[in-house]
Amino acid sequence: MKIIRFLAGLFFLLSFPAVSATDWQSDSANSHLYFAPSYEGMAINGAFKQFSTTYQTDSQGQPDSLRVNIAITSADLGNSDLNEAIGAIDWFNISDFPQAQFISEEFSHSGDGAFLAKGTLQLKGFKKTITVPFRWQALSEDSASMTGELILSRNDFSIGTGEWASGEQIGLAVKVWFDVVFTASKTHL
Amino acid sequence: MGIGNTSQQWGWLSKTLHWLTAVLIFVQIPLGFYAESLKLSPLKMDIFVWHKSLGILVFLLLILRLLWRIKGTIPKTVGASLIQQYLAQAAHCLLYGLMVLLPISGWITSSAANIPIKLFWLIPLPALVGPDNALKSLAAEVHEISVFVLLAVLILHIGAALHHHLLLRDNTLKRMWF
Repeated sequence: MKIIRFLAGLFFLLSFPAVSATDWQSDSANSHLYFAPSYEGMAINGAFKQFSTTYQTDSQGQPDSLRVNIAITSADLGNSDLNEAIGAIDWFNISDFPQAQFISEEFSHSGDGAFLAKGTLQLKGFKKTITVPFRWQALSEDSASMTGELILSRNDFSIGTGEWASGEQIGLAVKVWFDVVFTASKTHL
Repeated sequence: MGIGNTSQQWGWLSKTLHWLTAVLIFVQIPLGFYAESLKLSPLKMDIFVWHKSLGILVFLLLILRLLWRIKGTIPKTVGASLIQQYLAQAAHCLLYGLMVLLPISGWITSSAANIPIKLFWLIPLPALVGPDNALKSLAAEVHEISVFVLLAVLILHIGAALHHHLLLRDNTLKRMWF
């Protein structure tokens, strides 16, 4: 009788597909993090070429933690002169702050497959609480995509100081958007 | 003086377009060198808005001039040998060509540098090409060489006009004036 009860219990457990927490790791070759400052109201599209993201879902498949590391040194506005200019002290100051980081452990559901990640963005020595909306979509059994878009104010991080701070030519609002592909790197019970 | 050209006289439209272009080019050239010499700043960006706006304006005026020239006639050349006439024609063709090459190479430079253009802070222009560092350098090189060629042809053009006016004492320059 005991063995039957054990098998019944095992069967019961296995009948739930998502019973374990999962670590997801971004696949850098297929992941993109874009940013677009504006010049006289017109977008200048750029990207951070190097960044990595880890994401954890709990046993219910719900978000648990999100961590994004961004190499600010990889910022690319499509023009070598502009790239050099934005590394300067009044913009990103990449020699002192080559990395940015976003960490969130507070999530809320905002629709079907849509979430809000509230967390801290550390950029150019500043730490600000921001909310990042994203959509999570399974691509296969062990891969998924995360997409989203938000607007940041560059003055919150003193990016573009002095004569640039007014936002007259280079706007204060910077659009940031991403399309990240994850693979499940580790599943633990 | 009518609006159109005759075989003896320039009409007021051609004269106006000629002198308007002349003024714009004489502002454009120093403006371009000045903008280029500045380090990246709001001032540099504003000077470049002027430079790009005036450059496209020269290009638009050129189209108008060419249409007017094709549609109508132009006065006969005075007091010049056949060789001088050919030279004058070649110089004028070169001037027209440069008034196309300079704005277009500038526009390509800006587009390849991923910098959008808004004429007079009002009218956005579409990007001619996508971001491309190699193309940007090439177009900037063409732009720069073209401006030196333009300076050389302008010296020839103005020199020839003064030669007609001061030495030959004919009405070549006078008939371009109002």
